[in-house]
Amino acid sequence: MRRTDQVSGLVLLVFAVWFSAVAWTYYPYWSDTGPGSAFLPVWLGVAMGALALLLLVGASRREGPGTPWLPEGDGLRKLLVVLGAVVLFILALPVAGMILGTGLFLVGILRFLERYPWLQSLGIAVATSLANYLVFTYWLRVPFPVSLLGF
Amino acid sequence: MGVLDNLVMGFSIALTPFNLFMALAGVTVGTFIGALPGIGPVSGVALLLPLTFGMPPTSAIIMLAGIYYGSQYGGTITSVLINTPGESASVVTCIDGYQMALQGRAGPALGIATFGSFIAGTLGVVLLMLMSPTLVRWALSFGPPETFALMFLGLTTVTGLTGEHAVKGYISMVFGLMLSMVGFDIISGDARYTGNIPEMLDGIDFLPVAIGLFGMGEVLVGAENVVDMQILNARYGLRDVLPSAADWARSWWAIARGSVLGFFIGILPGAGSTIASFLSYSVEKKVARHPEEFGRGAIEGVAGPESANNAASAGAMVPLLSLGIPGSGTTAILLGGLMMWGLRPGPLLFEKNPDFVWGLIASMYVGNVMLVILNIAFIPMFVRALRLPYNILMPLIIVFCITGTYAYQNRVWDVGVMLAFGVLGYAMKKLDYSPAALTLALVLGPLAERALRQSLIISDAGLGIFFLRPISAVLTTAALVAVAVPVVRTLVGLARRRRASAWA
Repeated sequence: MRRTDQVSGLVLLVFAVWFSAVAWTYYPYWSDTGPGSAFLPVWLGVAMGALALLLLVGASRREGPGTPWLPEGDGLRKLLVVLGAVVLFILALPVAGMILGTGLFLVGILRFLERYPWLQSLGIAVATSLANYLVFTYWLRVPFPVSLLGF
Repeated sequence: MGVLDNLVMGFSIALTPFNLFMALAGVTVGTFIGALPGIGPVSGVALLLPLTFGMPPTSAIIMLAGIYYGSQYGGTITSVLINTPGESASVVTCIDGYQMALQGRAGPALGIATFGSFIAGTLGVVLLMLMSPTLVRWALSFGPPETFALMFLGLTTVTGLTGEHAVKGYISMVFGLMLSMVGFDIISGDARYTGNIPEMLDGIDFLPVAIGLFGMGEVLVGAENVVDMQILNARYGLRDVLPSAADWARSWWAIARGSVLGFFIGILPGAGSTIASFLSYSVEKKVARHPEEFGRGAIEGVAGPESANNAASAGAMVPLLSLGIPGSGTTAILLGGLMMWGLRPGPLLFEKNPDFVWGLIASMYVGNVMLVILNIAFIPMFVRALRLPYNILMPLIIVFCITGTYAYQNRVWDVGVMLAFGVLGYAMKKLDYSPAALTLALVLGPLAERALRQSLIISDAGLGIFFLRPISAVLTTAALVAVAVPVVRTLVGLARRRRASAWA
């Protein structure tokens, strides 16, 4: 985690400088009535900069590379597959709609990632989609995106 | 109106069929959420918040508060039977609770935890009811400097006490404040950091952030771990669960001490039920006549901490309701909910929305009674839920994160924000940052900024205003001490290490 802390310290430091600079450049620091809209952002940037330096110095003083924080092998693969499936689910919302999308997402994860039998995967997917429909569409009247098939 | 009149009014609200149903739903879901490892009260409240739109705020808070204190009951089941805490406030219960279960005394362990929780929860509500009005009267005299000092104290203590890495806690907090700057400035109307994206003009919404950090983030952390759980078999008949007279004799004082200790710890910002339960355990071990039994199935080691964590969840409602300052991750989310339902948190809440406050307080009495019945009579039902494999639960939680976030404002944008914060929450968790501090800062940011700027307008830009008025002087000094302690500790550590390496 030592290397990660050094990198995050640097990234946060750049972010802090950017944050203060944007506030200082574009918004008034002080107005006729008192502190302007840049007042707090400028100081927050200063505080973040100081904290980032502390993190950087602390990490650089530690010895050894530290333990890795990202999983490796199967753990990493699973994490990426799950994340990818979620992104796909969100991107497909306008086409697949929420109810059908939910079903497809669940079948995908349960059948193909977790290797549950077809029947069980389909059962859970259909039940969840139905519950989703009843709670959100029927009861709370949320206008979910609908699929091209019309539901 | 006196406290009693208010309470009668509160019960007339809490006992309507719909609100009774909401309380029952809240405490049942809460017990499940407490029992399931990998999902705690913060995630539970964040995930179910979207279901409450369109509900009267009183019914909504009755359900969400039910999840909060219900989860303190449910966490015990997992600690005792699997030796894995269902949520962090039950970590310490594993020590003696699991030992009791190994000796075939899982029933009494769960029983005494339930009764202790009930006594502590009820006593906590009584204290909440008696203390809050006094605190409100005091807080009504607050001007902007006091308000700012109070928020500053809330932010620094929550941050200082979370995790081992103070620097990372403060980074999380400042980052949350930075996020809260996005969107229209309330005083000048300037649009800040919006990057010309129309969705950013209203700022970064709290709900997608909370669901992302605590729902999605937790799921991603869980996705890479495969937990194989061994559930101990035990008997849960009524006679198996009721503690014996000897058990009661040993636990009685532990419950009383845990209740009082837990409540007052709960009021303190940043010190929630987890710290309360650990403190109670060490107190019980110190005062015990046979301290050597601790770690080998001492019933006091279950009764004390389990009482303390419930009393703390009642105590945490005191600053939330009377000052509008949450002291923990879960109450920060409840505060966000309050604002979304259109209520203004703070001392005026008691005056302007007495039905809300007293309806909630009355419902907490009712909810605790429901929890005793649930946790004595329906233990097998909760144990069965533990057999639900995590790899089925995980995609279901993801679906809930997405639908719930979308239902908030019917925008795919929010779902994207939720996912982004889910990934951030995963990284924060793995790298020891504090999602709770970020959330708290995001919620309090706009309020704190307004109070700060108003104070500086009053004082004509002098910082002295925070130190010259007595209440804000005390609060500001306390906040500065809270900032200084971890900094000094870090510096001392660095100096000591340098000396050590110089010697080597």
